Amino acid sequence: MNILVCVKQVPDDFAKVHLGENGKPALEGIDKVVNAFDTYAVEMAVRLCENHGGRVVVATIGAEEEVRPSMVQMIAVGANQAYIFAPNTADGDESSVAAGLAELVKKTEETIGESFDLIMCGKESTDEISSQVGAMLAEKLNLSFVSSVIDVKPAEAGLCVKQETEEGSASYEVSCPAVVTVAKPEYDPRYPNLKSKMAARKAVIPYLSDALTPVQPAVRCMNYQEPAKREAGVKIQEKNAVDAVARAIALMADDKVL
Amino acid sequence: MKTLVYIETKNNKPFNGCLELIHEAMDLGEGTAVLIGNDCEDSAKEVSRYGIPVLVLDTEAVCQDTVLAALVSAAADTQSELILMSATQTGKDLAPRLAARLDTGCITDVVGIRKDGESLIFTRPAYGGAVLEDMQFAEGKKAVATVRGGSFTKAEAAQAGDITVKSIEIPADAVKAKLIDTAVEITELVNLEGAEVIVAGGRGCGDAQTFGLVEELAKLLGGVVGASRPAIEEGWVSRAHQIGQSGKIVSPKLYIACGISGAMQHVSGMIGSDYIVAINKDEDAPIFDTADISIVGRCEEILPLMIEEIRARKA
Ligand SMILES: Cc1cc2nc3c(=O)[nH]c(=O)nc-3n(C[C@H](O)[C@H](O)[C@H](O)COP(=O)(O)OP(=O)(O)OC[C@H]3O[C@@H](n4cnc5c(N)ncnc54)[C@H](O)[C@@H]3O)c2cc1C
Repeated sequence: MNILVCVKQVPDDFAKVHLGENGKPALEGIDKVVNAFDTYAVEMAVRLCENHGGRVVVATIGAEEEVRPSMVQMIAVGANQAYIFAPNTADGDESSVAAGLAELVKKTEETIGESFDLIMCGKESTDEISSQVGAMLAEKLNLSFVSSVIDVKPAEAGLCVKQETEEGSASYEVSCPAVVTVAKPEYDPRYPNLKSKMAARKAVIPYLSDALTPVQPAVRCMNYQEPAKREAGVKIQEKNAVDAVARAIALMADDKVL
Repeated sequence: MKTLVYIETKNNKPFNGCLELIHEAMDLGEGTAVLIGNDCEDSAKEVSRYGIPVLVLDTEAVCQDTVLAALVSAAADTQSELILMSATQTGKDLAPRLAARLDTGCITDVVGIRKDGESLIFTRPAYGGAVLEDMQFAEGKKAVATVRGGSFTKAEAAQAGDITVKSIEIPADAVKAKLIDTAVEITELVNLEGAEVIVAGGRGCGDAQTFGLVEELAKLLGGVVGASRPAIEEGWVSRAHQIGQSGKIVSPKLYIACGISGAMQHVSGMIGSDYIVAINKDEDAPIFDTADISIVGRCEEILPLMIEEIRARKA
């Protein structure tokens, strides 16, 4: 099975983002990581190929030098090949990214000379958290779509995919090729080991600088704001837990929240 | 502006988050509510009571692919320029797909809409709620958006809107993902979004027994139990209780966080609470930055005393 995982590099979502002097999110000082949901997708893809054969290709849209370390990291955790595509828009919204990815899929298929059976994206990216790109990509490629997938198995007619739902789960059968987005499965993504890290560092990662057609975004961000800050509260640090609780309850009673 | 509101239904009841969109749709101009399926009669009546015209698209097989096809036809029929859905799992799946079919973009998790001359500005959180973005559609593009629950107030009852029922045939090849089975693992009804009091426990509870104290305090305060992701992974409570980016976004009057460190992914789900009390053994825990009352201490010591003290006050 040939699997493509679309990967996005994002600012580390454990860091709190603030607006800079230009009124835009100041992301310069924040570490760049692979979107957590994309790492779940890569792990799911690698497991699928380990169990049933196949290969995992990862691809991203971004500036070569900036995103290369993330691609190397995905190879170190099991991806077989990686591609980097130069952005198709400077100020892309989800619809323009999806259009770029649809083209990326075709171009990557041409490059490797085979077509993909399954295209995976993370359920959402941890920066914009819009959960649109996978769904839009499926439409642009006119393929079947299932979101929030936590398990994939080969089935007679293609694939059986398990979707996490608010109440439990739902199982779908899709023919290949299909597009799915991945939620957090029961397992965690693997860590690279020394050997896989060394090997990944030597990987050749092609950069396709003008493969994607420029597109106009359908949605633009006009302005950023920071939500009103919460005022610092009272810190209760008593030697004795009884005193601490008594003070806390008294304060809560004064503030009429009990 | 012609606005279409998609009303999700379940067991022939309209979803509350969708009802919250009716008032906004009518405020913006000509609104129409659309319901899709073969058992929408009661829901349609309930929706019409808010004074909005209702379009029922009667179709046999209901799955996401068929609903999407029906929505495309409803958007065309009503010549809608704005299509609103609730930011449920279903809404978040359908909206971007619909947007792609209408050759436009989509805005997720909208918390406010305002007019700016002829165009609309949609406000939404990004970066775990640390930033709010004001978004606008490019000229000539239709607008598709999902709205976060609790962002708009429900409409008042008014003179009932007309109900139009139309049956539509959806070609069989529209269904690409075949639903073969659903499993209901979570049967309890956990109304975190509507809760006035939430007592939430995290990894710092240490064990199921201490997490039980969280549950006891919630019960005592007439509240609902919340949890961080690790508490769910430990198996102390079901996924229905998760608060945060991958769980529920809540805004109770009182939120008590017990043994929760305050990671962005959790805080983004509870930062809208009116009053936050946090219990943590680490005096530098980030959760204290958002708390009105920060108690430095251990859950297993603080919680029993708190329960005792509140019980005594109630008596
Ligand atoms: C993509 C993604 C999505 C996520 N979505 C969510 C989400 O929706 N919701 C969510 O909650 N998390 C989510 N997470 C996980 C999140 O990043 C944090 O890991 C999680 O919130 C931490 O939970 P915690 O505070 O319970 O545990 P920890 O971070 O381990 O903190 C435990 C805290 O308990 C304190 N403590 C320890 N012992 C005691 C004691 N005896 N008494 C009192 N305090 C004690 C410690 O000082 C510490 O502060 C997500 C992560 C990712 C990557």
